[in-house]
Amino acid sequence: MIVRRFFITVFAATLLVGACGGDPPPPPPPPQADQDSLQRYNDSVAAAEAERRAEAERLAAERAAEAERQRAVRAARASLEEMVFFDYDMSDIRDDAEATLRAKVDILRASPQVQVRIEGHADERGSTEYNMALGNRRAEAIRQFLVGFGLAENRFEIVSFGEGRPLQQGSTESDWARNRRGQFVITAGADAINPSN
Amino acid sequence: MRIRIIETWSWFVVLAGVLATSVSTQPLAAQDELPGVSLGLVYANTYLPALAVQPFVGGFGGDMIASRVEAIVGRDLRNSDQFEVIDSLPDAMVGSQVDYPLWDRLGAVWLVTGEIEVSGDGYMLTIELHDVVYREVRDRGRFRLPSQDDDDFRMSVHRISDEIVRWATGAPGMAASRIAFTMVGNDGNKEVYVIDSDGEDLRQVTDYNSLTESPTWSPDGSRIAIASYKTGVPRIYEVDRFGNELSALPAVRGAGDYVTPAYHPDGSTIAFSVFGSNSQSGIFTYDLAQNCCLSFLSGGPWYDVSPTYSPDGRWLAFNTLRFGDAVPQVMMMPAEGGSAETLSPYEYGGGGFYAAPDWSPNGDLVAFHGRIDRRGRYHILVINLDDGGRVLRQLTSEGNNEAPSWAPDGRHLVFAGERSWGFGLMVVDVTTGRLRSLLGGRRVDLPDWSPVLPPT
Repeated sequence: MIVRRFFITVFAATLLVGACGGDPPPPPPPPQADQDSLQRYNDSVAAAEAERRAEAERLAAERAAEAERQRAVRAARASLEEMVFFDYDMSDIRDDAEATLRAKVDILRASPQVQVRIEGHADERGSTEYNMALGNRRAEAIRQFLVGFGLAENRFEIVSFGEGRPLQQGSTESDWARNRRGQFVITAGADAINPSN
Repeated sequence: MRIRIIETWSWFVVLAGVLATSVSTQPLAAQDELPGVSLGLVYANTYLPALAVQPFVGGFGGDMIASRVEAIVGRDLRNSDQFEVIDSLPDAMVGSQVDYPLWDRLGAVWLVTGEIEVSGDGYMLTIELHDVVYREVRDRGRFRLPSQDDDDFRMSVHRISDEIVRWATGAPGMAASRIAFTMVGNDGNKEVYVIDSDGEDLRQVTDYNSLTESPTWSPDGSRIAIASYKTGVPRIYEVDRFGNELSALPAVRGAGDYVTPAYHPDGSTIAFSVFGSNSQSGIFTYDLAQNCCLSFLSGGPWYDVSPTYSPDGRWLAFNTLRFGDAVPQVMMMPAEGGSAETLSPYEYGGGGFYAAPDWSPNGDLVAFHGRIDRRGRYHILVINLDDGGRVLRQLTSEGNNEAPSWAPDGRHLVFAGERSWGFGLMVVDVTTGRLRSLLGGRRVDLPDWSPVLPPT
């Protein structure tokens, strides 16, 4: 091992001697001015890079915000379209329906271009023609609830389908409960929904 | 509570047997108490004379349709519920001559004979009504029938049946009539159909692929007013029985639901309900022929619906929610509007669900349906205005029964029935309580019986 290191040392010394054999060439002039421009160049590259990165980050953030907004709009739309249900033979707004309708009020306030058709439905029991009246009373009760929060009445049209368009076809208590409902159809301003707050 | 149950004659073997069974198994005492109101199945102990139809004879080419015409007439006479119709005897037993002693032995009081021969494009039918007891011809008539493929063929035979009823009883018949109603298709849409009074010749009228409601015949039977959702909101139209649109009621009250049309006996004024127009609802009239003259009859914050005129056109009965949710009542008011009185037995603060009134063509009765027992069943009820109201007769006792409509004879009602086997159109005779199924197994609703239909 020691022997081998010795040979390497000798060989390296021989090379050094050989190199210093002739006149040494003049050293290249120190590239003073170029050094500056290079620095500037490097700086500018870095700056551009940073800018690009910032831009990309900004775009990504924007996209995320837009996605978030879209999600909020979708949620707002779903909230606007969420059905409310009624008790048998009644057109009073139930407590659970009140919460659903309050959520709509906030969205409708933030989205003045949105107009809604309120559809009233009844279950199959009773008289078919009476159920058309009952469906209209339900739709009207919803409209008056919304108007009571200061929303313009002309943003809502109402229509009753009576028992003609059941959500569920069966004749059980739970089918009937699902069929006694108010439905909401956005008729204008669907692309101008602003989620509230 | 006064309850009278009178068993119908035992020889109404099938139908009355079903009815009587259901009467005895359903204790009427379990029904809700209605102050001042007698509620129960009350049928007069009516005597029905026996009537036989001798097989019709065909001569000069008439033999081709003799048995078909005889079958239609026999069924019509049975459906009139004015006779106890004896089943046809085989030709060989009766021959072509009238054998009064034979019919007398069989218990017949009336005997109908017919003879058909070809005449021009159609036929000539000679009908005789024999009084078996006195062994004489009571009435005789010769009637033209169009060819069998003519659209009016069956209706022409029905008109002859009504003539026989008139000969024997002096009362109008109802065989020459149709019933319009709604039926739900597999796609969930509702269209209007018509069917002959004997349950034959079912035909689709509207084809809107939409909801179609409340068909009602014009007084001359040439038009049917309907409420259709074909534009997305309910509006009133007139169509003929082939579905051709004849007129549309303009949205004379602005936006809102326009529903439940009813013809005034003048044939051009229509009463209808509007819901949700400027938060105002009510019953209005409009002259469709003149296209003018909107008139407000009743309404406001409450809801009045399902108007029906008295035959003299002076009164309107209707359904109202003015007492609040869940307690719809039947009221009547002058045809030009004004103060209304309650026909159904409502007590302030009490319950009760009564809906879908229809005024009888004789003017004395108003039929509607009501929720009767605690199980929430709906039954057909009739109130007699001559009694000063307050006395209700219950005509059904099984299943659910809704939306009655009077036949032109003022004696039969068609209604939408629901039984354990499904839905169907049913006909009840108010006098005897006899019940028959007109169209079974379909999701049918809102039947309206036409007037007697004139030849086309």
